[in-house]
Amino acid sequence: MFKKILFSTTGTSLCDAAARVAFDMANRYGAKLFIIHIFGIPDRSYSQAAIDIKTGEKVDLNSDHFQKVQEEIKQTYSEQIKHNKECEFEILAGIPGTEILRTARKKDIDLIIMGARHSKKEKKSPQQKLIIGNTLQTVARSARCPVLIIGRTAASFWGGISNILFGTDFSKASDSAFLFAYKLARTLKCTLNFFHVINISEDSSGNVMDQNEIDDRIRDARAKIREKYLSRMEEFEDYEIDVWEGIPYVEIVKYSREKFADLIIMAHHSKKIDLEEANIGTTMEQIALRSNCPVISINHTDKI
Amino acid sequence: MTENKLCNRIPVNTKEELNGLLQDKSGKQYYEEMDNLEVDAKALWRTIQTTCKSRIRTWLNICAHCGMCADSCLFYLANDNDPEQVPSYKIQSTLGEIVKKKGKVDTTFMKRAMDTAWGKCTCCNRCGQYCPFGIDMGVMMSFLRGVLFSQGFVPWEMKIGSGMHRIFRAQMDVTTEDWVDTCEWMEEESEDEWPGLKIPIDKKNADIIYTINAREAKHYPEDIAEAAILFSIAGEDWTVPSEGWEETSIAMFAGDWEGASMQVESVYEAIDRIKPKRMVVTECGHAYRATVIEGPYWTGQKNGKTPVETLHYVEWVAEALRSGKLKIDPLKKIKEPVTYHDSCNYIRNGGLSDCGREIMSYIAEDFREMKPNRDHNFCCGGGGGLNGIGRYRKQRNTALKVKRDQILATGAKLVITPCHNCWDAIRDLEEVYKIGIRWSFLKPLLISMVEVPEHLKPKDE
Amino acid sequence: MYNFITGPLAWFSFLVFFIGLFIRSVFYLIGLDSKLDRISYRVNSFYGIKEAFRSILYWMLPFGTRGWRTQPGMTFLFFIFHLGIVLPTVFLGAHNMILKERWGFSLFAFPDYLSDIMTIVVLVSAFVLLIRRIILPKVRILTKSSDYMVLFVAILPFFTGFMAFHQFSNYPFWMIAHIISGEILLIAIPFTKLSHCFLFFLTRAQLGMDYGIKRGGMKRNNNIW
Repeated sequence: MFKKILFSTTGTSLCDAAARVAFDMANRYGAKLFIIHIFGIPDRSYSQAAIDIKTGEKVDLNSDHFQKVQEEIKQTYSEQIKHNKECEFEILAGIPGTEILRTARKKDIDLIIMGARHSKKEKKSPQQKLIIGNTLQTVARSARCPVLIIGRTAASFWGGISNILFGTDFSKASDSAFLFAYKLARTLKCTLNFFHVINISEDSSGNVMDQNEIDDRIRDARAKIREKYLSRMEEFEDYEIDVWEGIPYVEIVKYSREKFADLIIMAHHSKKIDLEEANIGTTMEQIALRSNCPVISINHTDKI
Repeated sequence: MTENKLCNRIPVNTKEELNGLLQDKSGKQYYEEMDNLEVDAKALWRTIQTTCKSRIRTWLNICAHCGMCADSCLFYLANDNDPEQVPSYKIQSTLGEIVKKKGKVDTTFMKRAMDTAWGKCTCCNRCGQYCPFGIDMGVMMSFLRGVLFSQGFVPWEMKIGSGMHRIFRAQMDVTTEDWVDTCEWMEEESEDEWPGLKIPIDKKNADIIYTINAREAKHYPEDIAEAAILFSIAGEDWTVPSEGWEETSIAMFAGDWEGASMQVESVYEAIDRIKPKRMVVTECGHAYRATVIEGPYWTGQKNGKTPVETLHYVEWVAEALRSGKLKIDPLKKIKEPVTYHDSCNYIRNGGLSDCGREIMSYIAEDFREMKPNRDHNFCCGGGGGLNGIGRYRKQRNTALKVKRDQILATGAKLVITPCHNCWDAIRDLEEVYKIGIRWSFLKPLLISMVEVPEHLKPKDE
Repeated sequence: MYNFITGPLAWFSFLVFFIGLFIRSVFYLIGLDSKLDRISYRVNSFYGIKEAFRSILYWMLPFGTRGWRTQPGMTFLFFIFHLGIVLPTVFLGAHNMILKERWGFSLFAFPDYLSDIMTIVVLVSAFVLLIRRIILPKVRILTKSSDYMVLFVAILPFFTGFMAFHQFSNYPFWMIAHIISGEILLIAIPFTKLSHCFLFFLTRAQLGMDYGIKRGGMKRNNNIW
C-alpha cells in the first residue's frame, strides 16, 4: 500500500508514539522510511543563523551542526533503527510545515506520519507561533498524500486495522478521503463505518436547533451518504452508517471508541484557516489529540 | 604574515571558498585572521585617488562641524545621544582619516572602520537630509564599505553574501532548478483554492516580468504563490525568468561593486531575453535600490535607467487598486489602527511615499501616520545588512528602539512593511521589546481583502 | 602703510578671493563624475535642475526644510549670524561711501544704527555659537582647532570695524586692523571651510540633482525637503 513513508519528528518524547507507528508501518508494509527533522527556523534574514526549535538557542547552519543533530536523532531512535536499517535521515532548517511539504513532494512520498503536538504550547514565542504557524494544519491542508497523525500514546499500539471510521462533511475533499478509506477497507478487508455529525452548537444568533429539525437532518444525511458513497462501492458489504448530533469532534471520538475503530479517516479542509480557528484547533486536530487510534487526514486523490 | 585562509582581499568566487567560510562557526576563525590582515596602503591610496573625487572630497572638507546631523541619525538617538554616533564624526574618523593619511592606516584602524561602516550605519541616507550643505554621509559610508571590501575588512556574513551572489546570482544558495521547482510546487499547492493558477516561466513578451528575493524561494514560498494569485486576480500577463530571477544585493551591502554589478546584470539579461513591457520587483527595499536605482550605473547604462520601466511592488499595487484591477471588499478593510513603515531604499531614496498612502486609503479604515513619515521616516534599524550580521546584533537591537517608539506613538496594532529586511527588523523588534504589535507584507493582507473574480474561485460541489 | 593695504594688498586679497573661489568651483564641477557619483547628470539634467534650485531655495529660507524646523534654536542662531555677516558688509554706509569715492557708484545703505545693531547681533551670535561648540558633546567631538580659528577670522573684521567706526580710541589702529582682518578673511576664504560661502550653492545643487535624477525625482514631482 505504501512504498515511501515520511516520518517527521521533533526528536522529543512528544513524537515517540508517532515514531512507534512509523517504524512499525514501514516494517509491516515493506516501505522505505524517510525520517525528517527540522531543527531550526531561519533567524537572521539572509545569514546562516537559525533558532533551534527545541532549545531556543541561536545556532549556525554549517555541516558540523547538521552532522551533530543527525547523530542526536539517530541516537534517539537507535532501537528502532536496529530493525530497520534502510531508513534515511534528513536534517533541515526552515519553516517546518514548508520543509515537510517540500520533501514529501520531492521524494514522491505516499504517506506522511506526524505527531499531533510538536512543541509544548507554552514554549512558543508569539512570533514563532506566527511564523511557524501550526505545522500540522499546514501539512494536512496541502499534502498530496495521506497524513497519519498520532496524538496520544494510546493511539500508537498498532495491531493492524479491522475497523475504519470514515468521517465526512460531504465536501469535495471528503470525496478523496472516501476513495482512500474505501480502497484501504477493501485491501485490508475491514469494516468501513460511515459517520457524519450534525453540528448542534449555537449559531450566530444563539439559537440551537430543535429536535425535529435534527431528526430531519439526520435522515437527509443518511440519504446523502447512500447516494454519494455507497453508490460507488462495488460489491463491498462490510459497512455501517451512522449519523449523530453533537459537537463534531466529541461525537467522532465517542463513536470511534464505541465501534473500537482502529483508524479514523477524514478530510482536512483546504481553505486557509484564520488565526481564530488556528488557536482553537480544527475538528481534525481535536480528534487527533483525543482519540484512541490514529487519524489519517487526506485531501487529494494523487496518492490513492 | 601567515596566509589568511578565510579573511583576505580575495572575493569569494567558488563553492569551496564559500563552504570554507560557512563552516567557520559565527566567523570565529575569520575574525581572528582579520587581526593578521595587513593593509595594502598603496592599493588603498590608489583606490581613493581613482574613485574618491570632488563630490566626496568636498563633502569631507567643507563639513562645518556644526553637529546638525546628530539628531537625524537613529543610532545617535537610540544610543542616548552618544557623541561618537554623530554621523559626521563617524565618517570623518574613518574615511576622513584615510584620505588625510593618504591610505597609511593600520589593521586596528581598518577593523574599527569596519565596525563603524557596518555596525554604526545602515546607509539610510537620512543624515544627508539634515545637513545644510547636503553632505550625504550615508553615501560616503557606502563608499567606505567599498574601500574596506577591497582591502578584505568586511563582516563575515557580508563576505558570504557577496560570495552567494557571485556563485548563485542570488543571496542564498538557490539554484535555477530549485527556483523553477519551487514555482511548480506552488502552482500545485494553490490548485485547490485557486484553480488554474499558473506561474509562467520565461514567457516571452509578457507585460510584466516579476523578480523576487531568494529567501522567498528558500523559506517562504507562499510569498511566490501570493504574488501569483494577485497577478492572476488582476488579470496581468506576467512571467518569471528561470535565470536572473533574484534582485536583492548583499553584495551592495558588502561594498562588493563587482559582485553587485554581476547580480544586476543577470536581471537585465533576463529582461533582454524575455522582452517584457515592464518589470515588477517583490516587496523588498534594497532590491529596488540595487536593481533599479544603483544598478543602471554599475552596469553602465548611460541614462541611469533600467532596460524597461521597473516598478516596486507598492507601485504595482497602487496602480492595480487605482485602475480597479484589484477591488477591495469594503467590509474586509483593516479596521484596527494600522501604520505604514517607510523603508529607506524605496521611499527616501526612491520617492515612492505617495504609493503607500494611496494603498492605505483603499485598504485601511484607521490609518495612522508615523512621526516623522514619508521621506523623513527613520530606518527600521536593520537596514544595510545589519539584520544579518551577528557581530553587531546588540547594536542592531539598540537601534530598533527608535522605530519601536515611533510605532508606540501611533497606537497602531498592525505595521505594514513592504520590505523583507524591514519585516525582519520589526519582527525582531516585537521579539526583543514585546510591544504587542503584528506586522505584515502587503500580499497576504490584499489576498484576504480582495474581490475574487468568478472564474478564479474553486468550484464547489 | 595705509596706501599699501588699501591699494595693492586690497587688490591682491580680492583677486585671491574671486579667483580662488572660481578655481575651487571649477575643480569641483569637473570632478563630478557621472559614473563614480552614479548620477546621470548630463542625460537627465531637466529632472536635476529643478530639484537643484529647490534644494538651494528651501535651505536658504529659515524653517524652509524639516532640517531647519527640527532644530529651531540653531536655525535662529544660524540665520541671524549669516544675515548679520552679509547684510551690513554689503550695505554698510561707510563701505558704500568708499565705493562711491573709488568706483563712482554705490548700493543702498542701511542707516548706521541698524548696521550697528546687526554687527552686535553677529558678535553675540558668534559668541553663542562658540559656547555651543564648547558645551554640546555632539559638536565638541567634531571640533578641531581650525574651527575656532575660522570663527575668529570671520568675526575679527566685524569687531575691528565696530571699534573703528565708533572711534572709541586709537582710530588709526582699529582702522588698519579692520582692513587687514578683512583682507585676511578674503584670502582665507578659498583655502578654508569659509569657501562654503560659494560652495554651499554647488553642493546643495549637487544633492538636489542627485535626488531629482536618481533618488526618486524621475517618478514624482517635488522632493520633500
